[in-house]
Amino acid sequence: MISAPDVVAFTKEDEYEEEPYNEPALPEEYSVPLFPFASQGANPWSKLSGAKFSRDFILISEFSEQVGPQPLLTIPNDTKVFGTFDLNYFSLRIMSVDYQASFVGHPPGSAYPKLNFVEDSKVVLGDSKEGAFAYVHHLTLYDLEARGFVRPFCMAYISADQHKIMQQFQELSAEFSKASECLKTGNRKAFAGELEKKLKDLDYTRTVLHTETEIQKKANDKGFYSSQAIEKANELASVEKSIIEHQDLLKQIRSYPHRKSKGSDLCSGEMEQTSDQADQVSSTSNPDESAETDLYTCRPAYTPKLIKAKSTKCFDKKLKTLEELCDTEYFTQTLAQLSHIEHMFRGDLCYLLTSQIDRALLKQQHITNFLFEDFVEVDDRVVEKQENVSSKPSEDQLPSRSLGECPIPKVLISVGSYKSSVESVLIKMEQELGDEEYKDAEVAELNSFDPQENLDYLDMDMKGSVSSGESIEVLGTEKSTSVLSKSDSQASLTVPLSPQVIRSKAVSHRTISEDSIEVLSTCPSEALIPDDFKASYPSAINEEESYAGDNEGAIHFQASTSPPELGETEEGSLENTPSQIDSSCCIGQESDGQLGPFSPPAHTHYDEDGVVSSPPQSYRQKDQGFHVDFTVENASPSSRDNSCEGFPAYELDPNHLLASRDVSKTSLDNYSDTTSYVSSVASTSSDRIPSSAHPSCSSSERHKKRAGQNALKFIRQYPFAHPAIYSLLSGRTLVVLGEDEAIVRKLVTALSIFVPNYGRYAKPVKHWVSSPLHILDFQKWKLIGLQRVASPASAGTLHALSRYSRYTSILDLDNKTLRCPLYRGTLVPRLADHRTQIKRGSTYYLHVQSMLTQLCAKAFLYTFCHHLQLPAHDKETEELRASRQASFLKLDLGLVNEDARVVQYLAELLKLHYLQESPGTGHPMLRFDYVPSFLYKI
Amino acid sequence: MSTLCPPPSPAVAKTEIALSGESPLLAATFAYWDNILGPRVRHIWAPKTEQVLLSDGEITFLANHTLNGEILRNAESGAIDVKFFVLSEKGVIIVSLIFDGNWNGDRSTYGLSIILPQTELSFYLPLHRVCVDRLTHIIRKGRIWMHKERQESVQKIVLEGTERMEDQGQSIIPMLTGEVIPVMELLSSMKSHSVPEEIDIADTVLNDDDIGDSCHEGFLLNAISSHLQTCGCSVVVGSSAEKVNKDSTGSFVLPFRQVMYAPYPTTHIDVDVNTVKQMPPCHEHIYNQRRYMRSELTAFWRATSEEDMAQDTIIYTDESFTPDLNIFQDVLHRDTLVKAFLDQVFHLKPGLSLRSTFLAQFLLVLHRKALTLIKYIEDDTQKGKKPFKSLRNLKIDLDLTAEGDLNIIMALAEKIKPGLHSFIFGRPFYTSVQERDVLMTF
Repeated sequence: MISAPDVVAFTKEDEYEEEPYNEPALPEEYSVPLFPFASQGANPWSKLSGAKFSRDFILISEFSEQVGPQPLLTIPNDTKVFGTFDLNYFSLRIMSVDYQASFVGHPPGSAYPKLNFVEDSKVVLGDSKEGAFAYVHHLTLYDLEARGFVRPFCMAYISADQHKIMQQFQELSAEFSKASECLKTGNRKAFAGELEKKLKDLDYTRTVLHTETEIQKKANDKGFYSSQAIEKANELASVEKSIIEHQDLLKQIRSYPHRKSKGSDLCSGEMEQTSDQADQVSSTSNPDESAETDLYTCRPAYTPKLIKAKSTKCFDKKLKTLEELCDTEYFTQTLAQLSHIEHMFRGDLCYLLTSQIDRALLKQQHITNFLFEDFVEVDDRVVEKQENVSSKPSEDQLPSRSLGECPIPKVLISVGSYKSSVESVLIKMEQELGDEEYKDAEVAELNSFDPQENLDYLDMDMKGSVSSGESIEVLGTEKSTSVLSKSDSQASLTVPLSPQVIRSKAVSHRTISEDSIEVLSTCPSEALIPDDFKASYPSAINEEESYAGDNEGAIHFQASTSPPELGETEEGSLENTPSQIDSSCCIGQESDGQLGPFSPPAHTHYDEDGVVSSPPQSYRQKDQGFHVDFTVENASPSSRDNSCEGFPAYELDPNHLLASRDVSKTSLDNYSDTTSYVSSVASTSSDRIPSSAHPSCSSSERHKKRAGQNALKFIRQYPFAHPAIYSLLSGRTLVVLGEDEAIVRKLVTALSIFVPNYGRYAKPVKHWVSSPLHILDFQKWKLIGLQRVASPASAGTLHALSRYSRYTSILDLDNKTLRCPLYRGTLVPRLADHRTQIKRGSTYYLHVQSMLTQLCAKAFLYTFCHHLQLPAHDKETEELRASRQASFLKLDLGLVNEDARVVQYLAELLKLHYLQESPGTGHPMLRFDYVPSFLYKI
Repeated sequence: MSTLCPPPSPAVAKTEIALSGESPLLAATFAYWDNILGPRVRHIWAPKTEQVLLSDGEITFLANHTLNGEILRNAESGAIDVKFFVLSEKGVIIVSLIFDGNWNGDRSTYGLSIILPQTELSFYLPLHRVCVDRLTHIIRKGRIWMHKERQESVQKIVLEGTERMEDQGQSIIPMLTGEVIPVMELLSSMKSHSVPEEIDIADTVLNDDDIGDSCHEGFLLNAISSHLQTCGCSVVVGSSAEKVNKDSTGSFVLPFRQVMYAPYPTTHIDVDVNTVKQMPPCHEHIYNQRRYMRSELTAFWRATSEEDMAQDTIIYTDESFTPDLNIFQDVLHRDTLVKAFLDQVFHLKPGLSLRSTFLAQFLLVLHRKALTLIKYIEDDTQKGKKPFKSLRNLKIDLDLTAEGDLNIIMALAEKIKPGLHSFIFGRPFYTSVQERDVLMTF
């Protein structure tokens, strides 16, 4: 409501601002500056430079009973950090704000000294003149020799930014409370130990005194007490009293309220541990004490000594150090915690705030955040998510994946976005590398990233650009109707994986080569696959090998899966299979058999030109059976017969291609390449072995910064950066070819920021390969650094690469060429504009991150848009739906030309990830894009 | 100083304030550092409640301690320092503003504090900045008051030849009372009417089947866009909300002063007539705010009598005064970010978590863009050492060419990095504002 204060400023007509007036104007000291940064050099960052210390630090101070407030230590313990800042003065300042009423005294009604277990107090204060502000955590420790048995301490987080302390108050408070609890737990233990020792001393003293008294009594025959005897008796009484007092103190410290000790997560482990130790060496006189009290038992190896009954306060004695007060183990742990705090809150507030907001928002995006988020963070979040899911299931949450919910494997293959298989074929295979290998590979890469490496490749003179080059026509579109009919009649094979198959995996993983694939490619129809084979065939690959320009036979691979119970007739019955519909996600509904694009391979539809037009099918890990669907055209019947008949079943498993190697060599001379085969053996060695890894947290930020910097240089210096980035975003493997490992690695690292991830582990990036590539490499890696060796042996490498060049993009660093499909979208230019004025790599990394987040949102929308993924009505054809989807991508998401492919690819990854049983362990797809490539030159 | 003070007694003067709703505040106190007796409490304000949570003695104890250590105070002249206490042992939190004042010829240290129960810590922390800003402004007035009172005192001594010390040192309390009450009311209303921390999307228009279900598309777009452009601050007006009901004259009345004092500009959304108005962007708002404050302080400085200075009287002397609320303008700048979001979000099925996820993605994009923008400016200006000159490049480089998009991201960046607007736009605006006296439209 408008009230008088609202309008008081306007009640005078003639002044709004200071104007000539009879009365003196408002002195500036009573006014408010018109501009926030009125003073010279002031700006939003300047407050950080006003202080005498270079960055935030932690100070521990004590209010010493001997010398008053004094600083004890700083974290980090580096004089450069606090510079000329007066620690003594600041200690005085922060310790003078003492609210702690913790004292030991004789409260009314109590005969003995009483310990007060006061809670810590927290104060934020500052010295505005010095530009120093502090979060101060006050705590009290017990010391038997101290005045009142207490020693007041404080831990202060000192920063030049007051807003930072206030905005992070709760976080600071929580972290310092942990450190405080740790100190206090250790202190209670030490204090109890001290009391025990004192009690032993007193007990011993009492015994000695008692003996002496007795001797005196016996010696005394005069009938009255001598003054010496009276003195002894008084001393004895004093000792007795002291014993009772100390016993009471011990009892008090042992009965420390358990609720208070619960506060410390940090120390709980330690407490248990020490309890155990205490149990073993327990010397307590009261075995009925609880486990908590065991903590305070001291070790038995102590020899009691004679002490004076009344301790005299001596001010020249040396007080215990903090470490002595708290037990070394606890003290060390506290220092570790404080170092953690210092590290945790380091830096500008805006980055702290944003990272907290980031984490909070990313928690809600477990469906998409695997794509481009840092995998370590994602990993953490997954753990959190799992905890959340297990603790409170909610209808509102996206349902977790379960067999029951997604019972039909067709769903997984429902890459409806790839309407035209002329252009792309997916092959799902067993993931070769385990998760650990992924991690190791990534870590190895991080470690191998040498900041000192120069950027020679970026200095190369790159002028001009020739964006048009040779165009490779789409091959293999000629299909014979006879083959088609065979294909149509082909049945799916569904078998569980046999243990034998699993055992042989390792072998196949090491030695698989493209040659073996070609063997498979010659198995075009059911007629060629004996039932025996079907029974143990875990996957299927249909490849129409047509490289080297022969017009015959693009090879189409289709792999699909089905649950174990689905037999060869499954496809027919799929429509009737009741499927649990995922209520939140249209994918589950797509799994219903009625959905065209996700129909099993038996419904594979061919275009007029004879290519497969149904979407490529993918594979689901949890399903134990597989559909095998060969649709290989134009392979000669004789060669098919030769290649397939008589093969043991496992040889048809793409994971066991080694076993078929020899056969493939002999049977597929027309197609296979022995050189590449030889090379493929070599590929089993070095590049598969992860180098020694030393995970380093701090390397992550540096890594991002350098990756951003190199990416920035790349887009500025390579005119064909856009199609290269498009390849990465759309899932087409990009091979970076070059002689110099350092240069190749740098570029691969730089480009890796554009590579979508499969799961929550390391990105599908291989930084350096020196042996020939084979087909599984394209399955695993979407960005590969490949060595070009100027030796005869390298011919195999290049040859192997050329074999797959139709399916991959190749960036030749030495010749400065790029061979990849055309890109005409608008997305990448915004992501990677060579005219950008962004100066730093870290800033560019942030820009890329925000743009990719936008992209993820689009992919999420596209993936989970019910009306888009489900048929509008029962009779809607695939084509209609596809056109609806295309129209949506264009009109609603504003994606033009190739940009749509990017979103479609991401959507495909989202679907796979969402439907996998355990996210992150999924299987990359091997996808061949039969799209024309262009050669770009500088 | 000591001669001016009331006798050291636990019976500190106290004013009880009747508030309409629940008060999270236990008390407000005004204390000073007595050069002989140390910290002393001058006055206590407490909400009138049936249940006394904190006795006067306890309040006095706590308030005394807000000045602990201030004998060591090391501050620039005129500085107002903030101290914040969380005293678990007492179960309270205290916010203290410490300042030097020259009262009745003695320069001393004072503390204006508010005390809340510790259970309100989470409630209070987000409001800390607002509270400190409001209390700071009270102190500015208080210091002027002290200065003027000293002058009058000197004049009286000269004219009447007598010292009437017993009259001095008392009259600041009514002025402070007039200022403390709105702060208490502010906290009270925040307690009862603040936006819940977690909002269920099912309770919002985003749960509708279609964007047109609850409101007009353009209105929703304008409202959200403007809300984001004004740093997430809005006043939503509707006939169903009691707090913003029409007054007797039939016109809407805004909490004008609170809107002006707010750290960020505000969007005015009328859900009855579907209008959206917004205050100028941050830097302009801060400029207006400071001019407003300076005017208020100047008026206070020039007030010739206590009656002029006691603001209650203004109400009666100038009832007909109605400020022109043209500080709210139409939303001029269109954005693409919110528009795309609204165009897209309704494609997702409601009632599931899909829209929440999509919303979180949208917010994440905004935050990441804001951080990128801060970093961009930081790089370009070498952390403020150089002026920022390349706004055009920034817009292109960060894909913020739509003016509305830039405003939204800048507003978000302002919250993360306070002062960004003033740093970038402050000076040019100063020139333009000299040409057009914006505030004359009041």
